[in-house]
Amino acid sequence: MSSLGVIAAREFRSFFLLPSGYVVGALFLLANGIVFLSNIFLPGQPATLRGVFAFDVIILLFLCPAVTMRAICEERRQGTWELLAASPAGSGAFILGKYAASMGYLVVLLLPTLVLVLLLELYGRPDPGEIAAGYLGLLLVGSVYLASGVLASAITASQTVAYLLTVFFWILIGLGRSALPAWLGAEAWELLAPWDPFLRMQDFTIGLVDTSSLVYFISLTGLFLAASVVIVETERCA
Amino acid sequence: MDHVHTEANQDTPVSTARSSGANGVRVHGLSKRFGPVTAVESASFSIKRGEIVGMLGHNGAGKTTTMRMICGVLPPTTGQVEVAGFDMVSQRRQAAARIGYLPESSPLYPEMRVREYLKFRARLYSVDDAGAAIESAMARCGLEAASTRLIGQLSRGYRQRVGLAATILHDPDVLVLDEATSGLDPLQVIEVRRLIEELAVERTILISTHVLSEVETICDRIILFARGRVVAQGDLDTLRAQSKSGAQATLEEVFVELTAQAFMEAAP
Repeated sequence: MSSLGVIAAREFRSFFLLPSGYVVGALFLLANGIVFLSNIFLPGQPATLRGVFAFDVIILLFLCPAVTMRAICEERRQGTWELLAASPAGSGAFILGKYAASMGYLVVLLLPTLVLVLLLELYGRPDPGEIAAGYLGLLLVGSVYLASGVLASAITASQTVAYLLTVFFWILIGLGRSALPAWLGAEAWELLAPWDPFLRMQDFTIGLVDTSSLVYFISLTGLFLAASVVIVETERCA
Repeated sequence: MDHVHTEANQDTPVSTARSSGANGVRVHGLSKRFGPVTAVESASFSIKRGEIVGMLGHNGAGKTTTMRMICGVLPPTTGQVEVAGFDMVSQRRQAAARIGYLPESSPLYPEMRVREYLKFRARLYSVDDAGAAIESAMARCGLEAASTRLIGQLSRGYRQRVGLAATILHDPDVLVLDEATSGLDPLQVIEVRRLIEELAVERTILISTHVLSEVETICDRIILFARGRVVAQGDLDTLRAQSKSGAQATLEEVFVELTAQAFMEAAP
């Protein structure tokens, strides 16, 4: 197994060695269930998970940074970072390993929500394409949240600061999309709108898979991860 | 630097056995600055295979920073480190594979079990026969009975043993042990010292400690640090001669004398 795989496997397993991994999963599923039962699983409602996906885009903003805030901060706090840094593994393996483990955890979080799809199938006729697009969108937006969380964890020594940096970064982006059209004018905003991650996510929730959005989310993830590698590499080898 | 490093010679030691001390460590002109603070300045020394060398110095003397640079955890500001003939900067992967590092306080993952952790470390270092290496390391460090226990529930002594076992798993040429016996009870200290002496037969060992008797007991040579500089190095007799504290002086007297000299020389 490569260094990346070794680090990812240890990190992924560590999510399930601590109670917090199960608590977060249970709360996520509970919140999804409540949204589903109170807004979707009602007589006369269309058989769609749009409401759940839209809710998850917001809830993941708070949850993903909680998953990644310990990625590097915790290693530094308990001193194990020195052991990793002294090993032959490269900085890319550390960062990508941590990110891959977090993505694995996100997939595990989303898997139980397939029960909601099953319920829709039993009692209605949902569009499988729309649901698949919604899940793809959640994975992509989750990927960006997680990658930005790994970067925050690489920047600071405090888990709390790493969490807040990530959450407030995305909140500011969200606030910006409300305020900028008024400040900049409609024309200028039209230039910036394609960079709005929340706007792009909306396409996925209604079943639209746009190649440019795929490229956008993957590039943004890559950018955050590359910045994290540079920071860690600078610390080790500058 | 007296060597030219290219991509093509990554797996070839930059030094011959003669210059790096036969699979040992060679440190040349090593310095580390953190902003305006100089933690280590122009440290130079060599350690041969089979030697146990002790680093002594007051808190903040530069011992741990030097060890971190030797292990590739911190990049040097200037200077060069060779481990088993491989340059720690330009041939980092090869050098890191030949070094075993036990940081101060033996950091571990408390949520993991002992065998699971050792398996992780063996894989990280791409150990060929990980199972056999783990069994051997556990036997050497007396960990068989604790193999399924959670690391977080182990005593300080057992945690230190787990750290040591993980350090020797990949059969490194060089061991760097930072305060390996701190916090251990007297019996555990004796056990760890015995283990270090056993390991030194086929390896190079660099240890740092505040326990002067430990240095006298197990070390072949001493490197004395003060204010980030190597102020003396050699066996106890060499240090006695340098300190002018007499042929019968204890290591404690020599240490105090040489450290005081270093501080006086640095005073304005």
